[in-house]
Amino acid sequence: MTVPASAAASPAVAQDASASTTPSPLRPSSAADVREIVADAIAHKAPLRIVGRGTWLDAGRPVEVIRQVSLEGLTGIVDYTPGDLTLTARAGTTLDEIAHATAAHRQWLALAPWGGDDGSLGATAATATAGPMSGALGTPRDIVIGIEAVAGSGELVRGGGRVVKNVAGFDLTRLMIGAWGTLGILTEVSVRLRALPEQEATLALRLPNAPASLAEFVTRLRSAPIAPLGMEMLSSGLAARLAVGQEHIVIVRLAGNADAVAAQRAAFGALGDVLDVRDSAWTDLRTTEPAEATVVRFSSTVARFPEVWLAAHRLAAAGDGHVHASVLRSSARVVLPHHDGSPTEGALELLRSAGRDTRIFERLPAALWPTLAPSRAVDRLSRGVRAAFDPHRLLNPGILGETLA
Amino acid sequence: MTDAADLADRLAEVVGPRGVLRRPGELFVYRNDGLPGYSKQPRLAVFPRTRDELVAVVRVLADQGVPFVPRGAGTGLSGGALADDVVLVGLNRLTRILSIDPVERVAVVEPGVVNVALTRAATPYGLHYAPDPSSQAACTIGGNVAENAGGPHCLKYGVTLNHVRALTAILPDGEIVRLGSADGEVEGYDLLGAFIGSEGCFGIALDVTVRLSPNPQAIRTLLADFTSVDAAARATSEIIASGIVPAALEMMDGATIRAVEASIYAAGYPVDAEAILLIELDGLEAGLEADVARVDGMCLAAGARTVRVARDDAERARLWQGRKKAFGAMGRISSHLVVQDAVIPRTRLPDVLAVIREIADRQRITVCNVFHAGDGNLHPNIGYDANDPDEQARVHAAMREIMAACVAAGGTISGEHGIGLDKLDYMSLIFSEDSLAAMCRLRDVFDPHHRANPGKVVPVHSCREWHGAPKAAWTA
Repeated sequence: MTVPASAAASPAVAQDASASTTPSPLRPSSAADVREIVADAIAHKAPLRIVGRGTWLDAGRPVEVIRQVSLEGLTGIVDYTPGDLTLTARAGTTLDEIAHATAAHRQWLALAPWGGDDGSLGATAATATAGPMSGALGTPRDIVIGIEAVAGSGELVRGGGRVVKNVAGFDLTRLMIGAWGTLGILTEVSVRLRALPEQEATLALRLPNAPASLAEFVTRLRSAPIAPLGMEMLSSGLAARLAVGQEHIVIVRLAGNADAVAAQRAAFGALGDVLDVRDSAWTDLRTTEPAEATVVRFSSTVARFPEVWLAAHRLAAAGDGHVHASVLRSSARVVLPHHDGSPTEGALELLRSAGRDTRIFERLPAALWPTLAPSRAVDRLSRGVRAAFDPHRLLNPGILGETLA
Repeated sequence: MTDAADLADRLAEVVGPRGVLRRPGELFVYRNDGLPGYSKQPRLAVFPRTRDELVAVVRVLADQGVPFVPRGAGTGLSGGALADDVVLVGLNRLTRILSIDPVERVAVVEPGVVNVALTRAATPYGLHYAPDPSSQAACTIGGNVAENAGGPHCLKYGVTLNHVRALTAILPDGEIVRLGSADGEVEGYDLLGAFIGSEGCFGIALDVTVRLSPNPQAIRTLLADFTSVDAAARATSEIIASGIVPAALEMMDGATIRAVEASIYAAGYPVDAEAILLIELDGLEAGLEADVARVDGMCLAAGARTVRVARDDAERARLWQGRKKAFGAMGRISSHLVVQDAVIPRTRLPDVLAVIREIADRQRITVCNVFHAGDGNLHPNIGYDANDPDEQARVHAAMREIMAACVAAGGTISGEHGIGLDKLDYMSLIFSEDSLAAMCRLRDVFDPHHRANPGKVVPVHSCREWHGAPKAAWTA
């Protein structure tokens, strides 16, 4: 623990809210430290930027604050009994560390979010970041069973618990997941685990080019007698970058015991000429994004999914980017690399004129957030929730695009 | 001050004279829910037939500032649907399934649709609604949403929260809000997640969009019988730790088995067993037999006398009927019943069940266990005679001890039944005053005047700005 005493004593931080220099982040190493930091922020009316491990700082809307709170020091697995298939860790613990600990017992935490495993459990929960397995195995909303957090009011609160089923009290857990730290700083997260499959196989299949055949093909994919952990369509450029193909393809991750994998392999093979692909393609897919990029996710219905995939393609093509799409979730994700800090003008044009798709920006240049992604957390209930948990507006102010009074 | 007769007249203008109950004799049947032991008489009961009537009813109540309790089928097991001298809003007439979309695999239903009726309507499409509380033949989707209901198959398929994509709710002040989205993801706070399981304290669902699940290609239902609860508990812990995720893994102890077998729900359970496990495996046909063999092996290794697989759908249905009607069958044992709902880590099953047995012996009470073993969700049932104050006191003491043992094992006080009235006193065992106060503030966002289901879920003394649950102020 290096702060908050030193921060409070630093005039540049404590008194001059307009200071332009960013002091080194506060680094709490316990929930008690986090409480002190929040109490200090309340006392000095000094908002906090919660940065987790700082692996993906351009995600979410820009936040202008003086004090950063890094959770890099708030780490460690608090409780892991393999037979219970549950685990509790401090918020700054990396997904890597959890993967390492659970693999020793042939278990895993099935979050596998975009961005890889060097990020923290807390940030994954706070941003509700999912990944290519979420269609089959759930999102943080389904996988997190309990949280501990320091609310913006300074109170240490708990929601849920460490057991897999729990309806006790109002659901503070669901509320904190995806709140981007605006209700509380997560200090501890409990999750359910899964056993690693006995066997798995990743297979690839070429997508038809004609739009009409694509819709029919997707229907066949969805009704095939398989139970994949992931089923992701990849644009040709992305397939090439991952070295799994040269054309638009779909990759599936099959899992189960030997009989189950063999039967699914045969069932998937009936759809076309199937190629075996290395399992690490899934990890590569999660980590292949350029450091500087705009990322937007289009979620859709089953019926509109082929159309959304094609629209996502046009966007990716206009922005020299790539697209991948989850058949199980009917959602497409477009990655547009930046040139001079921004996507191409052609891509921006399409984004400005985009229609009624449910789209969620994950990363975007700071200046574009207000025009392209007006906040959706502006309704009376959302504002009330914010005021109930962060009455002084100290936590990541502006990250949800809310107007700051 | 509200004049009850005037209010009844105003409500009757909305729902018709037959939609309002006002005489004590008529209201008597609404004094209880599924958990005997609590009786609270509503002042009035109102039964809207349509969405518009429901909206109008809530707005009349808002206009008059009158507290109310939403009620589905009244099958809840925590006293959550009891209305203590306030207005009971019955939702069991809003029974329309508004749409079923087999392509998107969603259905939109009114809150009074009975759980199993939805699955029945989805059956022609090869789909079903996954959450299956034991009361599914009577309980409603609206009630399921309020309680975040589970059921045996939520071990693999998740609880209500995981199956609701969106809903429209009317807040206690009459405002209508849309939570979640049926068309895709939404950004911002998970208000839908907060609403589900809020036990009627945040408002009333007008319609609910639920996910329908494809029926599994293949199902195997196993019945393993044991000569001790301990052996069955060890088998459960083994199966869960092995990584196989059964669709359901249920345990019933000897007392429960014998009550069921003596009832009209007799399922063919071995009456000399001290415990049985009902284990269902489902999914793709390929690979299922291998899992059945592994589970069979683990049961035998833990000491099972026999493991048999249901031969056909009829036998499977009979095995499940015995399990789902077990609470009803316990009526044979005693006139009153309390049931707990604690959840413990799965590895702790053998020792916590032993502790419960020790508590029962010491307090000289009868505990029957029938529960979702795979989730660690215990349902110790204590039968008693409410006319025997001494026995009642021992039951009460035993309940507290059992709850404390479950919490000490790292568990929680409710897995699916909700807090309601029954578990209010236990909330402080698992939540700090700060956490309870935060929950109160969350409720204030939805219902600043605490008019919806007053006095439930969070102990009133934890709500720092509040002093006492609001009562309706009736004129004489």
